[in-house]
Order: sequence, then C-alpha cells, then structure tokens
Amino acid sequence: MSAVKRLADKILLFDLFAGLGITFRNMWKKKETVQYPEERKEPAHRFRGMFRLDEDRCIKCTLCARDCPIDIIYIDWHQELNPETTKKEKVLDRFDIDVQRCMFCGLCEEACPTKPKSIWLTTKTYELASYERWQNLYVDIDELQEWKVRPQYTDEEVT
Amino acid sequence: MPQVLIDHLLMPVLKIGVVVGMVMGVITYLVLAERKILGFIQVRVGPNRVGPWGLLQPIADVAKLLVKEDVIPRRAVKWAFVLGPCLVVAPALVIFAVVPFGPPSTVTGGEQNWFITDINVGLLFVLAFATIGVYGIILGGWASNSKFSLLGGLRSAAQMISYEVPQGFTLVVPLLMAGTMSLNGIVMAQYEQQVWFAFKFLPLGLLAFFIYLVAGIAESNRNPFDLPEAESELVAGFHTEYSGMRFALFFLGEYANMIVISAVAVTLFLGGWLPPFPNVGWLSFLGLGLPPAIAGLFWFTFKLFCFLFVYIWFRGTFPRYRFDQLMELGWKWLIPLAFANVLLTGLVKILL
Amino acid sequence: MTESIETPTPDGETLFGLEEMELNFGPQHPATHGVLRLKLKVDGERIIGCYPIIGYLHRGTEKLFELSPFFQNIPHTDRMDYVAAATNNLAYVGAVEKLLGLVVPPRARYIRTILSELQRLSSHLLWLATHAIDIGAMTPFFYTFRERELILDLFEEYCGARLTLNCMRPGGQPYDLPVGWTDRCRELVDLFPAAIEEYGGLLTENRIWKKRTIGVGVLTAEKALAYGVTGPMLRGSGIQWDLRKAMPYEAYDEVDFDVPVFHNCDTYDRYLVRMEEMRQSTRILDQCLKQLPEGPIMGKRPRVLKAPKDSEVYHGIEGPKGEIGFYIVGDGKQQPYRCRVRPPSFYNLQVLPDMVEGLLLADLVAVIGTTDIVLGEIDR
Repeated sequence: MSAVKRLADKILLFDLFAGLGITFRNMWKKKETVQYPEERKEPAHRFRGMFRLDEDRCIKCTLCARDCPIDIIYIDWHQELNPETTKKEKVLDRFDIDVQRCMFCGLCEEACPTKPKSIWLTTKTYELASYERWQNLYVDIDELQEWKVRPQYTDEEVT
Repeated sequence: MPQVLIDHLLMPVLKIGVVVGMVMGVITYLVLAERKILGFIQVRVGPNRVGPWGLLQPIADVAKLLVKEDVIPRRAVKWAFVLGPCLVVAPALVIFAVVPFGPPSTVTGGEQNWFITDINVGLLFVLAFATIGVYGIILGGWASNSKFSLLGGLRSAAQMISYEVPQGFTLVVPLLMAGTMSLNGIVMAQYEQQVWFAFKFLPLGLLAFFIYLVAGIAESNRNPFDLPEAESELVAGFHTEYSGMRFALFFLGEYANMIVISAVAVTLFLGGWLPPFPNVGWLSFLGLGLPPAIAGLFWFTFKLFCFLFVYIWFRGTFPRYRFDQLMELGWKWLIPLAFANVLLTGLVKILL
Repeated sequence: MTESIETPTPDGETLFGLEEMELNFGPQHPATHGVLRLKLKVDGERIIGCYPIIGYLHRGTEKLFELSPFFQNIPHTDRMDYVAAATNNLAYVGAVEKLLGLVVPPRARYIRTILSELQRLSSHLLWLATHAIDIGAMTPFFYTFRERELILDLFEEYCGARLTLNCMRPGGQPYDLPVGWTDRCRELVDLFPAAIEEYGGLLTENRIWKKRTIGVGVLTAEKALAYGVTGPMLRGSGIQWDLRKAMPYEAYDEVDFDVPVFHNCDTYDRYLVRMEEMRQSTRILDQCLKQLPEGPIMGKRPRVLKAPKDSEVYHGIEGPKGEIGFYIVGDGKQQPYRCRVRPPSFYNLQVLPDMVEGLLLADLVAVIGTTDIVLGEIDR
C-alpha cells in the first residue's frame, strides 16, 4: 500500500502541489509591507534612538563620557561662581557627541547618575540619515537640547 | 494602390507592426505583473510607487535602461557581444508570425485572418526559430570574457539543446492528432474534432501537454530551471557583464520566449482562440455574445495569461534544480516519456 | 580577470586535455553571506579545490576587548555574530561572571534564557531564508522575515535595539521585562509552530529541495569532531552534543527539551536539525514563560568590576550556530588582560573545503548556506 502511495506521490507530484498551494494561499493574505514614508512604525518606549540632553539636570560628572565604549562624547567644563546663590557651579563649555561613530548601545544613559537621567536616548528618533558626511552627525549642546534640525518625537523618559 | 499590394504588403506590415507592438507592450507589463504577483505571493505589495498601483513602473524601467551606460568589457569579443542579445530577441518575435490569435476568415466570414501568416509547416517553423535563441545566449556568455558568464552560457547550451528534444517530440502529438503542421490547421482540427488536444486520447494528450510545459519552462530559462542565470550561483549567468539596453534585450528575449512558448502551448493543446466547448449549444454564452473574432482574441489572451501566471507562480514557489539533475530529468524521464507518448498516440490513431 | 590563471592538471591528462579554471567566488557574491572569498579550482563546474580567504571584516575586536572595562565590551560582542547578538552577550557576560564569581538571580537567568532562545529562533530564520534563496526558492525568505520581524519587535521592546542588543550585564539584567511583554511573547510562541510548518511545507517534502540537499556536503562524524565543528552542523552528523544539555547554563537545566540528532551527515539533515531546533526553542520559550520567577534582576556586584589577579576562565554556550565561547585572562585590572573568542562560524567554515571537494558549483552555495556562517564573527 505504502509502495503504491509512494509511486502515486512520485508520479502525481503531490509535494510540488503542496508548495504551490501554500504560495497560492499566501497570495490572498494581508500584506506585511509598511509603506515607510507615509506610515511609520512607532518605536518601542525603550527604543534607543537619537540623544537628548538636559543641561539643567546634568551635574557634569562626565560619567557618560567615561562609560562610552568608543569615546565619542566630548565634555569640557569649568567652575564659575553663581552670583545669585554665591556657590561655585560647574558650567559646560562643550558637550559634543560624534553621532557618526555612535553605536547606540545606551551605556551613557545607563551611567548617568541623575534622576531622571539628564542624557537619554529614548527619543524615538531614528531618521538620522543625511546627504553630507558631517551634516547633522556631529551634535553640540545646543542641538542636543533644542532639536532644530530633526523632527521632534515624544521624549518619554525612562523612569 | 493595387489590391495585390494591399494584400501582400500593406496588410502584413500593418499586422506585424500591431503584433510586435502588442507583444512588446505585453512584455513590459508582464514584468510588472510578475513583480506584483511575486510580491503578493511573498506577502508584500510589489512595485507601487510609480503611478497608481505601480502601473507606470515598466515605463520607468525602460527609461532607466535606455539611459544607462552601455558597457562593453575591454577584452570582450565585440561583435559577438553585440550580436548575442539580438539573437535572443529576434527569433522569439519571429515565431509570432505563425501563431493564430483569432479565427481565420473562413470562420468569421470577414475579410482578414487573425494571424500574420499561415505556413503549412508552421510547427517546423516554430521549432526552427526556437532553436536559434540558444545561440544568442551562448554567444553572449562566451563573448563577455567572464568566467561566470561562460559557465552560464555552457549551462544554457546543454540545457536548451537537451530540452528541445522532448519539446520536439511532444509537438508531434498534436501534429498526429490534427494531421496538419499548420498552426491554424491544428486549431481548426480541434474545432472540428470538438476536443482540445490536451484532453484527446486521455492521458496521452495531457502527458504531452505536461511534458511540453516542463520543457518549455526549461527552454525559456525560467525557475525552477533558471540555471543559466542562477543569481545565487553564477551572479547573473550569461548576462553578468551586460548592462543598459543590451541587458534589456536579454530580458526582453526571456519574456518574449515565455509568451511564445505559452502561445504555442495554448494553440496546440488548449484550443487556441476557441472558447471552451464551442460545440455545446447551451454553453454558447462562453462566446460572450461578441463577434467570433473578438471572442476568439479574448479566449486566446485569457489562456495565455493563465499560462503566464503559472510560470510566475512556479517561480515564486520552487527551488532551483542542479545542472546534472536537470540533465537527468531531461534525458532519463522526459525524452523517453515523450517518445513513448508519440508512439502510443500513433498507435491509438491507427487503431481508432 | 581575463588573464587566465589556468594551470594544467598534475597528470596533465584529461579527456580533452583541458586545464582547470580558477574562479574567484566572492567577496562580492550574492551567495557568500557577507564577505567570504573563495578561491576555487574548477574543472568545468566540478570543484577540485576550494580555498577560503577571510579577513575582509576584521575589526580587531579581541584587541578592543583589552582596552576597555568589562561592561563596555558588551556592545562589541553584539557586532561579532550580528544576527545572534543575545547569545554573544550571554557567552561574554557568562565568562565575566565566572571570572568575577558573580551570582545571577533566577529571574535574570530566565530572562536570559528567553532572550537567547528568541535569538536562536531569529538566527535560524535568517539561516533558513538565505539557505532557501541560495538554492533558488525565494519565497521562504519573505515568510521567515515576517516572523523574524515579530521577534525583533520583542527585542526592541525589551532593550531598545533590534539587532545589536547589548541586553545583558555581568551580574544580571539591566532592565526588567516591560509590562505585557510576556503576553506578546506568548502570542509569538503560539503562532510559531504553524509558521514552521509553512516553511516546511514549501521545502521539506519538495522533491527539488530534496534533490539539491540530500547527499550534498557530507560531513562525517569523525571529520566533524576532528575539525571542532559544533552546533547544528555536528548534530546533523549524528553526534548528540548540545551545551544546553551537556553543561547547562542559565535556566536550561530547569526546562525540558529534546536535542534533535540526524545521522545522514548531509545538507538535508542539517536542515532538519535546525527546523526541529526551532520547534524545540518554542517549547523552551513556552516553559520559561510559564516558570518565570519574580524577584530581582540584578545580583550583588561590586561597583567596579575588577578581575582577580592571574585569573583565567573559559565559558562556552550553545549559540545558534554552535559553541560560542570566551576565554578571558584577568590581571587585577578593570580590563581583561586578554580575551579570545571561540566563534562557531570560524570552526564550521574550516570544513567547507573538505565538504565541497568534488561537488558542483551549484552545490557550493548549498553547502555555504548549510554551514550558516556569519563573517562578522569569523573575522572579528
């Protein structure tokens, strides 16, 4: 019996028709394509995208720069006397990130000791492509805070 | 203008122009259809950016290919490199000369036949010109002076010549059934014998049809027999070094071949322009109430497109054969089967 | 290219007195999965010799490990086997934990198991896609990517990245599972067996697929052992060796699963092994989701991770492609003194010349597909 069945399988090409059936059924299924520029998938809340910095929260501890595996965060600061509180305060001279080399590992955010974090990647921004090599991919403190050049997404923070 | 000029010069030229134009149009949109259908099979939408539903995509493709730089490799054999693509396209188009797209004037009672010409050795003509196409591929593969191209050319030489044998044998079956070599005569014979030849002398006709289908897919280098191209093995096979319009010609040739093989299959085995069951009275609504010429054209194209759909469907489903397995299938299975089929058909024909 | 590098055969006598042809297969070739270059000696289409040339993707990862503290190296491990970042992470943090004697809390162990099984699924899906497309079936590619997308979505939800996850830390897990994650993971697990059947329906019984894979690229058990082949390649050669069973790590000793073994040593059997492994992975995921304990996700660990003086450790785990292991030497500093990676693909690639000799060119792509190599971890 099984020999007959095997022979029938061999001659009648059931195996091939099974495959054809699968592809035919899939032809009528819902298409998975996301029409990108028109529809976008919302990134997850924890999605590691472009940076954002809050200078007021930042305590200039430079832990983020130290924890960066490829050293692309450049921070310079100096101390200044605040005339209002008459206390010495750290003031940022420079807070640059060379995003071109960034691998978005999120270690800088993890290292940040302030609560809530003063540097975070969960901005849901992922459209960082640019036509020029240096365009938009070396960001300084103003850009990090103000987002002049990129569309702004929800900057939900990690708690 | 004397009537003789109109009959023998003007009308044929007009018909040729219309047919070639139509075939080209069908090819460009066949490419789109293939991409769309493959897209649907693969749960994506296919091209949809150029024009509504991507309908202008073929035009964009052609424009792109036309303006692309036409590279001829430095050490390529130039004349062969240039000749290759032409040799693929031209024979495929020539075969359309004998394919009847619609009924002859004897059926419609009109002035004109719905085919360019009706040669009494039409089948031989088809075979002869289908064979030439392989030269283009071999020449192109050899002249490119690239190892991948060479391997692709070698593969296609072996493959196309091997599969011509079973294809030729299966063409004998409808010939025996009809008793004529004229393609138009074969369709008329199916009309008179009231049966499509695929279903005559069951299962002999069906077997011949099936072998023709397999051999035809192999002849036109389509998946699962697309070894000469085999993009994952030979990069692009025989047209690796081609670009721009020359590449487009190869592309055109492949699709023209697909259409030719489908058209011949429809004519020989599926009743050509005949509607299904033309002789059954209560099914006469299948003529769609149109004039017979238009209905014939409709049914011909409908069958043709079913065929082309099967081609694309196969491409979306099957893996690729290996070279030696392809040869094995051709020589050990298809040729003996086709041969036995011819013998049996002849026997049945004599006995009945 | 046109200058023929043809050399006569050693005995100089073939049927037509033809010479061999040398064919450069890759590094830019659709079937070499990245930048593998193969120098082939072919006689017609038959392969006489095959010499893999690697190093096009060399980034000095092992040297980079020596330069930065332990936890900063985790992103680098992502980029070795870039289709299986979670298992790379796991092997690395496992080694570091062994070196420093850190204890991982149970919930973190379960999360790690879930992540690495998801990663195994996604890696096998990618393998199936490329393997099928190499052999000419292009549709499974899209079906597998449909499901792979769901897995990547889960990763994104958990750690914020889809491919280069950086999702484990020495001592535990950096994040807890988001709310509702387990439910979505459960949905995926429920949906998966049917999806695997669908891929199988296109390939497993298909006669063309069988013809292309059965008896192709035979790798005998002795040879596999001699070359140090691991993973599905080894199990396709009939040797039952799976580190998840042999030396259980994380939560693998608390779940029940089978290790598929097939004995025909050919490409088809390796295909079957990986298909069965996907089913087993869904089983493991199912159990892990059921047994997932509550509790902390990060164990006790010092603020600064410092390796003990003169310490060395090797920790290997069962990655999707085979045993991925890290050998770390510590010298009392925050950085490893030396870190050596044992990437499975490197050892699996070594057998390629042996497996393809005498086969046709078309079989070569099938065999490359079945070894499931990722050049990122071969070249490092």
